[in-house]
This record gives sequence, structure tokens and C-alpha cells, in this order.
Amino acid sequence: MMAAANIKARTGMSEKQLFDFAAFRFQDAERTGYSEYSYWKSVWRNFVKKKSAVIMLGVFVVLFIFTFVAAAIGKYDVNNLRIVDSLMFTRPGGEFWFGTDNLGRDYWAQVWHATRTSIILAVSVSAGQILLGVIIGMMWGYVRKLDRLFTELYNLIDNIPTIIYMTLIALMIGKSYFIMACAIIGFGWLATARNVRNLVFMYRDREYNLASRCLGTKLWRILTKNILPYLISVIILRLALAIPGTIAYETTLAYLGLMDISTPSLGILLRNARSFFLDYPYLLVIPASIVSVITVTFYLVGNAFSDACDPRNHV
Amino acid sequence: MSSEAAARIDGGAIDSRARQAAAQPILSARDVEVDFTLRGQRLKAIRRCSLDVYEGETLAIVGESGSGKSVFAKCFLGMLDKNGAVTGGTIMYGGRDLAKFTTEREWRSIRGKKIAMVTQDPMTSLNPLKKIGAQIREAIELHQGLHGSRARHEAVRMLDMVGIPDPERRYGQYPHEFSGGMRQRVVIAIAMACRPQILICDEPTTALDVTIQAQILQLVNALRRDHGMTIIYITHDLGVVAKVADRVAVMYAGQVVEVGLTAEVFFGADHPYTWALLGALPQLGVRGKGLPAIDGTPPNLFNKIIGDSFAPRNRKALNIDFIEEPPMFRVSPTHQAKTWLLDPRAPKLERPDSIRRLQSASIDQPTAEATGSAPREPLVEVKDMRVAFGSGRKRFVAVNDVSFTVYRGETFSLVGESGSGKTTIGRAILRVNPLANGEVLFKNRRISGKIDKALDLEVIRSMQMIFQDPMASLNERAKVDYIISEGLLNHRLYGDEAEREAKVRKALEEVGLLPEFSSRFPHEFSGGQRQRIGIARALVMEPEFIVADEPISALDVSIRAQALNLLNDLKRSHNLTYLFIAHDLSVVRFISDRIAVIHKGRIVEMAETEELFRHPLHPYTRALFSAAPSPNPDIERGKRLLAYDPAMHDYSSDKPVWNEIAPGHFVYGNQRELDGYARALGA
Repeated sequence: MMAAANIKARTGMSEKQLFDFAAFRFQDAERTGYSEYSYWKSVWRNFVKKKSAVIMLGVFVVLFIFTFVAAAIGKYDVNNLRIVDSLMFTRPGGEFWFGTDNLGRDYWAQVWHATRTSIILAVSVSAGQILLGVIIGMMWGYVRKLDRLFTELYNLIDNIPTIIYMTLIALMIGKSYFIMACAIIGFGWLATARNVRNLVFMYRDREYNLASRCLGTKLWRILTKNILPYLISVIILRLALAIPGTIAYETTLAYLGLMDISTPSLGILLRNARSFFLDYPYLLVIPASIVSVITVTFYLVGNAFSDACDPRNHV
Repeated sequence: MSSEAAARIDGGAIDSRARQAAAQPILSARDVEVDFTLRGQRLKAIRRCSLDVYEGETLAIVGESGSGKSVFAKCFLGMLDKNGAVTGGTIMYGGRDLAKFTTEREWRSIRGKKIAMVTQDPMTSLNPLKKIGAQIREAIELHQGLHGSRARHEAVRMLDMVGIPDPERRYGQYPHEFSGGMRQRVVIAIAMACRPQILICDEPTTALDVTIQAQILQLVNALRRDHGMTIIYITHDLGVVAKVADRVAVMYAGQVVEVGLTAEVFFGADHPYTWALLGALPQLGVRGKGLPAIDGTPPNLFNKIIGDSFAPRNRKALNIDFIEEPPMFRVSPTHQAKTWLLDPRAPKLERPDSIRRLQSASIDQPTAEATGSAPREPLVEVKDMRVAFGSGRKRFVAVNDVSFTVYRGETFSLVGESGSGKTTIGRAILRVNPLANGEVLFKNRRISGKIDKALDLEVIRSMQMIFQDPMASLNERAKVDYIISEGLLNHRLYGDEAEREAKVRKALEEVGLLPEFSSRFPHEFSGGQRQRIGIARALVMEPEFIVADEPISALDVSIRAQALNLLNDLKRSHNLTYLFIAHDLSVVRFISDRIAVIHKGRIVEMAETEELFRHPLHPYTRALFSAAPSPNPDIERGKRLLAYDPAMHDYSSDKPVWNEIAPGHFVYGNQRELDGYARALGA
């Protein structure tokens, strides 16, 4: 062969050595033929590619931090706002950066406090309803005996018009943030639970679950170790989309007067602004823009994340 | 080396068709390269691969999963996935180079019209929302330009041609009204609708039962004869190859490593990989001894392959195999192999024993050693088991009055086709499926129904299961360490963390995996390695009884032997008892002590392995045996298929019973049939 001389020169082996048997190495034969691929690393890499989502996420983080800073740099403390008739509807300017409202109170302090309240409310309510929804959804989907019970419960709650249900709670129990948060969670879990249940159906009868049952694994461990990891991407997506949903819902409730007005939230500011915004548009524009920023952020982040989670995009 | 092969050809084992055509290839692929981009990395699926296809022949491309056999054939049709492309070489067909095709329009003049394809899964290749007739008509209207009643007439004729009874009525039915084999016939009819010159069959029978598989192969063969088509089979099943192929191309790591007439490749193989592939067949194994398995796993195509791609797994590799890629050596005008062993300077290496056993055509002789008949202690007893699913009118009895005993230390096999209820029996013993009737005893204690907690825990520990699909049976999101120690965690079978880790390490070593694998996730492993992880998971519980549910049917040929050897070794070293569930008779024969044949939820025959193979009595057992492929082309071609039709039994007045017709040999039948069986045994 013409190449033989070439090989000899390269390896320093004689022709005879070249055609001798080589030693067999078990390690080389058993070396895994599969690429090191990490699902979450790929998710992250794809997510970072969506510039708009990353930028909006940055804007949101800055916004949230600023809600704390704003109170410190502002001239008025939100807890000590006085009603001064002469200062009613002062336009934004040097003294009052965001102007004053219909009662002459500093709007800057109120807006940032309301933003903080709304974000905290939205995040905790969303987290609460997702948590409840995931736990119930997993039981509903995995434990056959509970299927009937949860299906009936779902139908029962789902058929009550939510506004009537919220009105009754607000009027009979109270309008405090805690009660309203619980009320929103109380029906907010439904959609998540149904979604999770349908997903669990996909995984329930896979052989690896059967294997766990043959090993005597307890229900709770099967749910957390065998089922939950497969749902994480869906859960994060739902959480991302639930946050703007909750803010919008809280706004609606405040607009209908079903929220406690002693602590301002974005919804309450919008509700107050509705009577005056034709003459004093800044009262509406400022809180509305903040609601928009939050909503758009989570919408973009949620969609970018759901795209990033799709393994078909991991190329 | 080729003289004996040549002698066989002259002896008429292969008809003269292939030789006549040898001059003119109808399709000629030269140095084809295919690249895929996957997760940002380049993968070379086909590496300078050449192959000629001759008019009127049946060519089989054999290889493991990942060898590139499907990808290679898909290049001929322009059906590569979006992230793959032909990056080099030529594919000449009808004076045109298919490798240069870029647009769909160019491909449409070839695809379907000239070269058609039948895919593996008949369940997914038909549209479930359209009637069968409409789907065939669509192809006819598109390619033959027929319309209206003439197209309909042609479609009915096509259904008739592929052997579908009552085609007029079947024309108006939906795919779900067809069985798997019938659907595959419909898919073939659609492919045939445009009268292609070349028909590519990509694993056409893998998803089907053995008896159906044999019928489909017969059909394709008849179509080729009647229409003068060229057939390319893509398969991993050497039995299929032996049955149908005129020529065989063996692929490994994206290259054809050996190509020749069927007899040349089966009886006169020259490439070590072909030796290993043939040698690993359980049909050629000697019971009680290990199979000559191929070590390791196929190479990673992301990496650059230097030298002979098979060298790392080849125990007899030469130094040069690791340095320089071997050229194609011509052994005979029709036979080529890509290995340095054919170089005149290479040492002469005898073909392994198993290949010679194949040559002597003695594989249907019993190969078992005599098994000592020690006093037998029943470990698991199944009595009158009945398992039913659903209720009321939708009630379906999957297992019907099944009784058998598994003795300690033996391998008891349940053999049957899909839907026969064999998996259900295994799961019912492990108490996953509840019994409708009957009971299961473990060491003479009842374990079915309600049992106390202590016994429940003991039974969980001592009975374990190995699953069919190594992809589905491991939790993808858990590390190997957790997967193996799951049972230990559940039952606190360890003192401290160090002891648990030691147990995991020991289990990994016992199944031939490296201990450092414990920190990895399942997706980093190949199918065979994943199956061994599944075995380690069962083993760590130190069970006495293991239900192995088709543990090797999802594995590649080269990996099967590894897994079978492992199961046999573990049985000896851990004193295990297996209930082995399978549909592949060659595997069952190699591994089991006793076999029960199950049909539609009922055991029809049960005997010791060699007794059953020597004297199969029940017509279903005989049909099953006749359909099982043999790797010897001479035997395979001379074989006659037996069909089984349950309607042949007349149980109207003479009721069937479960009867011991000879010591240890049970068969299900009525008195008249039993008399016949007894006569057959006596003769």
C-alpha cells in the first residue's frame, strides 16, 4: 500500500508491528457514545438568545428594586400623607415629581408603594395558586381513586361565576389583602391543576413509574422524584404568565371596589384616576404604564421560556 | 476464502438473477457523506459510503441503530431530516446525480414515482382520519393520473394485490379497523401505487409479530417477482436477511464494511464485525455457555473516527486498525470487505466457531447440555389466574385460567405474540395488575389479594422486574445513583451513606458498568448500558425471583448477547429464578429451562425447552416455530410456513382440557386432539 510508508514514518512502527494484534482495552469499548447534553443548560442558552425577554426582565428587576429606593429618595412618606385641599391636582413638577392626586397627596410616594404592593401580591398569589394547583393536579392525575373526587370538585368551583364569588367573600368576610389573596388562590389553582393532571396522564403509565412501584416506592416520593421534574418547565411557564394575570385581576377587583383602599395598589390608583383622567391624564398614565411594563415583561419572559424549554429547539 | 462461498453459489443457493444483473447497477452511490447538525455539534452519519444496487435484486442493508443504514437509504429519496444534508459524493440514478438535487420539485420526479419507501411503523404511516381507500386513491390519482371510478377500481385492485381479503368492503374502512399486518399491507399498496422501480423497505416487519412478519416478507417477494422491482431492505434482523436477500451490505458507523451475495456474507464473512454480529445470534449459541458477545457500545459519531471504526470493540484488532482506515478489499467479484485482515501482510485469522457452525447448517440440532434433575422446590405458583380489564360490556379478559409453577433456580419462559397476555401475567404476579380470579403463591404463601404488611415488604424485596424498553424504564431526570438506590431508600436497606454508595458501586460493577457512571443521567448511555442500569436497580434489592419482561427485544443485535450473558451469569452467581417473557423463540431456546406457549390469554402448551422444540404438538406452537427466522439462508429459504387458525378447533361438544401428555409436557386440547397428539409423540 502506498500509505504504508507514510504511516511508518508517522508512528515509528515497523510494518510487522503494524500488523500485530493490539491490546484490548475494556474502557475504550465501554466509553459512552453519547454527547454530554444538559437540558437546563440548553434551556438557559436558548432563553438568553431572546434579547427582548432578557432586557424586559432586567427592566423589571430594576423597577422592583426602585420601589424600595423611591421611598427613600422621595420627599414625602407614604404613611404620612396629609390631605391638603390647596394642593389638589398639582401637575408633576419640582416639588411633587408625579404631581398630587384629587386630595392633594404626593403621587410619587403612592405610585411606588402601590407598585411594590402589587408586585408582592401578584407574586405571592401566583406562587400560591401554582403550588396548590401542582400538588392537587399531581394527586388528581396520579392517584386513580382521587380522580372522581377532584373532577367533581373542579366542576363545582369552576361553575361558580368568579365575580359573584369574589363579591360575596369581599362583602361577607372582608376586603383585606390577605383575605382577597386567599380568595384569588381559592379558584386560581383550578386551571393549573387541570393542566398538570393532563400532563401527569402522559407520564403516569411509563415503565419507570411501574419500576418504582415494583420497588415499593411511596406515593410522595414517586410524585416528587418521578413526576415533578418533568413538569418543572410547565410550572415555571404558568408562573410567569400568572403574575401579569394576577395584577390585571387585582386591578379589576379594585375597580369594582372589592379591595381594601387604605393601602394603595396599582389597581386602586387606577380606580381613583378613572374619574379625573380626562383633565389630569398623568394620574392614569403613570400607574397604567407600570402595569404595562410588568405585564409585557412576564408575557415575553413566559413565551421565551416556553420556547427555550422545547427540546426541538435545542439544536 | 471465497472458494467455499463460490461453491455454494454454483450449487444454486442463489438464483442467477443477481449474476446477470451484476454488470449494470440501477443505482450507484459513491463516497456519499451525510452530516447532521445536532445541538450545535456536527455529526457525521455517513462517512464516504459506496454501494451499488442492481436491477431486480433484493439487497439488504444490515446494521445496528446508529449505523446510518436508514439515513443512507433516505438520501436516495431526499428524505433526510431538516438538520441533515448530503455533503459529498454522488448518487447516480437514471443518468442523474441525486446528491445534487436541491429543490422539492426535482425530488418529486423521483420520490414515489421511481423510488418508494415503506416505513417501520404501520400505526403512524397511515392517516387515521381518512378511509383506507381514499388514501390509496390519492396516490393513484397523483401518480397515475386516473380519476373517478377508474381510480377506485385501481385502488381495489391494489388492495387485492397486497393480499387483503374482501377488498371492496375494506376500501371503505378506516385504519383502526385494520390489524398491524393488514396496515403494513396497505402501506405497501400505497407505495406500489406509482409502480416504483425501487422499493425501499425500512424495517418493514420490526413492529409486527413473527407469523405476520413472515407473511409480509412473502408478499414483498411476490410483488418483486411479478413487477420486476428492485427491493432494498433496511433491517437489523439477520433472519429476515437470510430469508429474502440476494445480496447483503453490512453497515457500521456510517460505512459499508462488508458487501456480498447472501451466501458469501453468511458463510464466508471476512470482516470481524460481521463475524461478531453473526456469532452473537442466540440461535448459534450453546446453552449453558456464554454467547460470543461484542463488548462495549457503538462509537460516538460526533467524534472523529480514526482508523477502523470497529477496532475499539474488536478483541483481535491490529495495531494498524487504530491508525489507518482500511481500504475495501475485493474477495471475489461480488464480495468485498473493509478490514486490514485481508491485507497480505496481516496474520491469518480463523473464522470463529459460531460462523463454522452456521456453515455446517446444524443449528437446528439441540445444543443443550443435559440438565441435572435435582429435587425441585416450587418458588412461585400461579393457580387459575384470570385477569380482566374494564367492566360490563367493555370487559376484556386478558389472562384466562392460567396455572403454572416456577421452580427455584430455573428460567421459565412465557412465549407469545403481542396481545397474548404474557406481560399481564408477569405484572399480575408482581401485583401490579389485580387478579379477577385465582391466586399466586410465593414460597407456599398466598401473595395475591390482601396480605399483611411484613409479607408485603418481603415480597417487594424478593420479587423484582426487568423491563422491555430501556428508554422508558429509567427516570430521565434522576441520576443513575438515585435510580439504583431507589429500592434501598424505600426500605432503608443500608446503615449509612457510605454503605449505600458501596452497594450502588457493587451493583454497577456486577452488570459490567464503570462505578463512576453513578453521577450521570440516563440519557448519556446507550440502550444496552441503560438496560444494564435497569438490571442493577433490580439486583441491588437482592431478589430471589425476577420477572424479565422482553428484556432484550429493544436492544441491538450486538448488545443482545451481552445482556443475555449477563442475565445467565447473574442467575448463577445470585441464585436467581427468572420468569422470562419473550416473543423471540431463538432467545427463549437459548436461555430457558422450560417454556410455556401462550395464545390469547391461555397457555396452550408447556414443556421443557428441548422437548418442546423437538415435539411441538399444539398447532399454534408449530406455526410459531415455523415462522421463527433462522440465520442460515439455505434453511430459511427451504422452509414452509404453517398457519394457525383458531377456528380449526371444534370445541362445541368435546370440551378442551389442560392435559399432561408426556411427563412434564402439557398441552391444551379436547380428547380427539389429545389422541392425535399422543399418536404424534409415539411415532
